[in-house]
Amino acid sequence: MNQEPTKDYNPPTTSSQASLGSLAKKLMEIKGEIRGIDLKSDADFVIKERGKEGLNKVEEELKEVGYPVEYEKLETMGFYPGGLKALSLLAIKKALNLNDEKIKEMGSYAIKASFIIKIFIRYFSPISKFFFKESPKIWNKYWTAGEFIPVELDEKKKYAIVRVKNLNLHPIYCLYLEGYFSTFAHLVIGAEEINIEETKCVFRGDQYHEYLIKWK
Amino acid sequence: MEIDKNKNEDKISILLEDLDSLKSYIEDLFSFLPLPTCFISPIGVILEANPAFEKISGYKIDEIIGKPIEDIFAKEKTKEIFKEAEEKGSVSAREISVFTKEKKEIPVSLSIIARKSKEGEISGYFIGLFDLTNIKTYQKNLEEKTKDLQDSRSALINILEDVEGAWKSAEEEKNKTLAIITNFADGLLVFDKERKLSLINPQAEDFFDVKSRDIIGRSILELSTFPTIEPIVRLVGGEIKGVFRKEVQIREDLVLEVSTIPIMREEEKLGTLIILHDVSREKMIERMKTEFVSLAAHQLRTPLSAIKWTLRMLLDGDLGEITKEQKDFIEKTYQNNERMISLINDLLDITRIEEGRYLYNPVLADIESICQFVINSYKEELERKKIRIEFKKPGKKLPQVRIDVEKIKLVIQNLLDNAIKYTSPGGQIIISLKQTKKEIEFSIKDNGVGIPKDQQERVFSKFFRCANAIRMATEGSGLGLFITKNIVEAHGGKIWFESEENIGTTFYFTIPLEKEFEDFLKEF
Repeated sequence: MNQEPTKDYNPPTTSSQASLGSLAKKLMEIKGEIRGIDLKSDADFVIKERGKEGLNKVEEELKEVGYPVEYEKLETMGFYPGGLKALSLLAIKKALNLNDEKIKEMGSYAIKASFIIKIFIRYFSPISKFFFKESPKIWNKYWTAGEFIPVELDEKKKYAIVRVKNLNLHPIYCLYLEGYFSTFAHLVIGAEEINIEETKCVFRGDQYHEYLIKWK
Repeated sequence: MEIDKNKNEDKISILLEDLDSLKSYIEDLFSFLPLPTCFISPIGVILEANPAFEKISGYKIDEIIGKPIEDIFAKEKTKEIFKEAEEKGSVSAREISVFTKEKKEIPVSLSIIARKSKEGEISGYFIGLFDLTNIKTYQKNLEEKTKDLQDSRSALINILEDVEGAWKSAEEEKNKTLAIITNFADGLLVFDKERKLSLINPQAEDFFDVKSRDIIGRSILELSTFPTIEPIVRLVGGEIKGVFRKEVQIREDLVLEVSTIPIMREEEKLGTLIILHDVSREKMIERMKTEFVSLAAHQLRTPLSAIKWTLRMLLDGDLGEITKEQKDFIEKTYQNNERMISLINDLLDITRIEEGRYLYNPVLADIESICQFVINSYKEELERKKIRIEFKKPGKKLPQVRIDVEKIKLVIQNLLDNAIKYTSPGGQIIISLKQTKKEIEFSIKDNGVGIPKDQQERVFSKFFRCANAIRMATEGSGLGLFITKNIVEAHGGKIWFESEENIGTTFYFTIPLEKEFEDFLKEF
């Protein structure tokens, strides 16, 4: 795959792996783009877990489905097809035989490694201001599609509700976001124990994705 | 419009590239920084850390991020530092411990700066650490070394104090010793290893009529040039030989008893001490006593002789017939008079011995025949007491020895007389003569009462008689063995005995052969 950002990105039309291949094609047709940094954090996680060899397997997998990616060559701040994120997660899951918890862990890892998050650190306090005003901006730093909506924050009762609208990528990304939001909440709130649940999901017939985040 | 759109896209592309480069630059800088650095959120959660921080904490980056700061640093101290940073904006070089993943405690110097938002609110803290482990180790070593040095110093001070104490004690001891030496009634001369005089006390200065400054440091041989010291040097010799209670006449009125004592420290001889005891007064008293005894004895002997001859004449009937009863009385009186004369003679002998006038006439004589003569003279008494006597002569003839025959005869008589006196009837006496390399040894063995152990030391003393001897024979002056010893020693011989109570006694004396005797005489 050409590692240039989206403007020059031309996905191949054939796939050697029928199921993931056909899914890949559909995914790649999804509108919206994602920042290269998010894809690169997938690669970092794979290297951390399985080393360079693991990453090679993933890249091989992507190559087989007709969307070869060389993660190292991805531009951190560049934009790439949004579907590639779901495809990347699926390829990693398949190549490395990861369970759902590991996918959540990837989301968690992404937030820790995120340069963009660090840019927003200065806005972490106060929490309510950050939650309602700044956090939607972070979404927009990653995605050109979808919408992050902070719905409710109750610091006393220790819970928050967030929604993701207009992004129907793949259920694997729902898991990924669970990990992502959970760690994000931990960094912002500082609570040791965070529980997150996707209470609504477009893949379950809802209008949007909604997450209930609780902490102690 | 299309052109503008393309231009905007190019600008965005350039900006993205710049952002990418900036990110890389920041990441490189952050990663390269050798000092552990991290960024903390306002609520105390670690949001970023560099590899140096990973290394010091032992956590991986994804383990560090999200960790509360209290998990890494000591809670109370951290709170204190953060509070100060919040107030002052920054805090520099505060010592704190990092608790690593492996539960190790690493001392670090922590600097912190609060990051503020545009509105002036704290948006986080940058923390920089400096590992103090090496410094602490060095400091610890330094402290240990300092402590060692302090201990050594204390020990040294203690030693010095001990030494000072010991020096004071030694000084006190020295002063005491000097006081003793100075005030000692005896004269003292101390010679060092080289036999040079190192000390003379005032008493010795008086004895020799010298001043210490004139003689200190001089060798013993040099001291012989002083007429008063010369007799001492002659006695002890250049090598300062060991002498014990030897009398030396320094002047007409001064007799010193000289003893030498080696001054030793363990095996090493440090010098010699010569002790000079003034015996002039004792000598004078002794002389006066001897003179008195001599005078008295002489004065007594004349009338006793007159009595003796008068009694003899009475007993022999020269003055007319006497009854048997009268004869018995006169006989007893005569015997007692004889004993008195004998005692007076002994006393005169002693006075002569003590005055050094016990002159004898040495001639070459055959001691065997003298022994035989004495034995023969006691034949009747031996038979009367039924005591067997045996005279063991050596196999070959003994050489003649130079002796005063009368005096040696007296010696043998005294010894045989004692043997007979203190041996019960039926007993046995053995007299032996034998020749050794340098002398002739005489011995007389009896199986008489023996001499009690506790009295053996005093046997050769004047007027001493053993308790059991007194019980057996009331007669006896206690002078015989004293005279005997003096006679033997005047011949250069020795006398001694072995005795066991109720078993018997053996007396021995030796007479040196002629050559040895001549050598002995040369000493006088």
